[in-house]
Amino acid sequence: MCGASAQVWPIGNWKLTFGNVFMSQLKIVVVLLISILLQLSLREVWRPLSYIDFPLVVVVYIALQRDAWQALLVGTLAGLIVDAASGGLVGAGGFSKTLTAYIIYFAATRVNLENPLLRIPVLAAGSLLDSAIYVFWHRVLGYPPVAPLVQTMSYKLIATTVVGTLALYLLDALVAERSAQRRQFATRRRVARRSTGPLRRR
Amino acid sequence: MASVRTQREIRQRAPIWLVGLLVTNLVIMAVDARDADGRQKVLRIWTQTFASPLQNASSKATGATSGFFQQIWHFRGTAAENEQLKQRLSEVETELHTARQATAENERLKALLNLTEQSNVKTVPARVIARDPSVWFNTITIDRGRSSGVEVNMPVVTAGGIVGRVVTVSPWASQVMLITDEKAGAGAVVGQLGQSGALGSIRGRADLNVALIEMRYVSGLEKVEVGDFVMTTGQDGIYPPGLNVGKVVDVKSGTATTAHQILIQPGAQLDHLEEVAVLLYHPPPRPTEQTPQNVERTRR
Repeated sequence: MCGASAQVWPIGNWKLTFGNVFMSQLKIVVVLLISILLQLSLREVWRPLSYIDFPLVVVVYIALQRDAWQALLVGTLAGLIVDAASGGLVGAGGFSKTLTAYIIYFAATRVNLENPLLRIPVLAAGSLLDSAIYVFWHRVLGYPPVAPLVQTMSYKLIATTVVGTLALYLLDALVAERSAQRRQFATRRRVARRSTGPLRRR
Repeated sequence: MASVRTQREIRQRAPIWLVGLLVTNLVIMAVDARDADGRQKVLRIWTQTFASPLQNASSKATGATSGFFQQIWHFRGTAAENEQLKQRLSEVETELHTARQATAENERLKALLNLTEQSNVKTVPARVIARDPSVWFNTITIDRGRSSGVEVNMPVVTAGGIVGRVVTVSPWASQVMLITDEKAGAGAVVGQLGQSGALGSIRGRADLNVALIEMRYVSGLEKVEVGDFVMTTGQDGIYPPGLNVGKVVDVKSGTATTAHQILIQPGAQLDHLEEVAVLLYHPPPRPTEQTPQNVERTRR
């Protein structure tokens, strides 16, 4: 631990120290906890608010930052905690969010999804995918959800996409430090690849 | 360079982590699904034990937040008045609000107490601490668990009528399946038990927007009208007989060969539940089936 705190990894103009990494992880944990608390409590305030899937928004955000390990772990944890408080099967939400996180991460590593406008279809697709996998497992294991499928999926898609788009801006402002490092790092890697390409070598 | 290697490793190992986590979730799901309805779900007890403090906290936070916004709202309404009056007014309003809440709570608890006295069954008063956070299911969590004597399948009621049954019990909290859930059911009769022959069974409807219950298997020859009350019969082995279920709001009359299609509005205010009572009810053991003597003789 002590050794790690002294270690410094230079990336561009950034210095990725143990303290920076710890703060970034802490921010993610806090944001995740807040999202879960919101998910647990907002239904009591006004029922339609439960259509917003806050933990999914956080999962999508981390997956878009191309942080696979964090996205997968956060997806599983968020899903399991919400499942524990829900009447559905424990693990179904964890499964759906983990898979959604990986698919978004996979897409983000191959396609540039940094454009804020592109986040809207990503959020919508994430919401659809999450709901579809969740309902699929419940039906397969003999626990069909009570809510009407198409209506609930549509409401959830709209609510999560609209609120999620705004929430992603907010998250950018709060947890953006590390993502900026990663963006810069990705750009450097792209530039480095270009310089070693076959055309350049000639 | 260390960081470059780490990123590459992360990218390479991500599919392995994915498979690991998915398999873990799948195993958890399978274990949870394996426990049939009516049995205590071991996995859920643990998850709920850890989740209930979080739910309790979120419930309190919600109350505090809405109280805070209510305060702001009250302040906004009296903005034109001077500071002192505003202060006094807000204090009075807060007191009034608290008093009203206390009165309403008092009324509800009195009604529950009344119910306890009437039903001759021991009850455990409980507070609803959470509602299902997912949009797909419709359960509530109450702040009483095994430590208060609550067991799986015990009925949960309010003064208005039945609410549902306990499906999971952890040491300090329990999850309740509402009577409007599609998987919930109970034996019921339209009218007074013992006087009416309109017996049937009630079941929740798969429609979250309208909290209605449907009643099935009531003979088309029985007279059922809108406004009739529906009571439990006790034949389901969960709810004691004579509890109010709700009021008939729609009847599609049946014939001699088809049953009535009846819709019931639950007597309990399921959308605004705050306090409920768990009936510590153990249904009387069913008489063991005795094989008729002539069957025995035939076998011999």
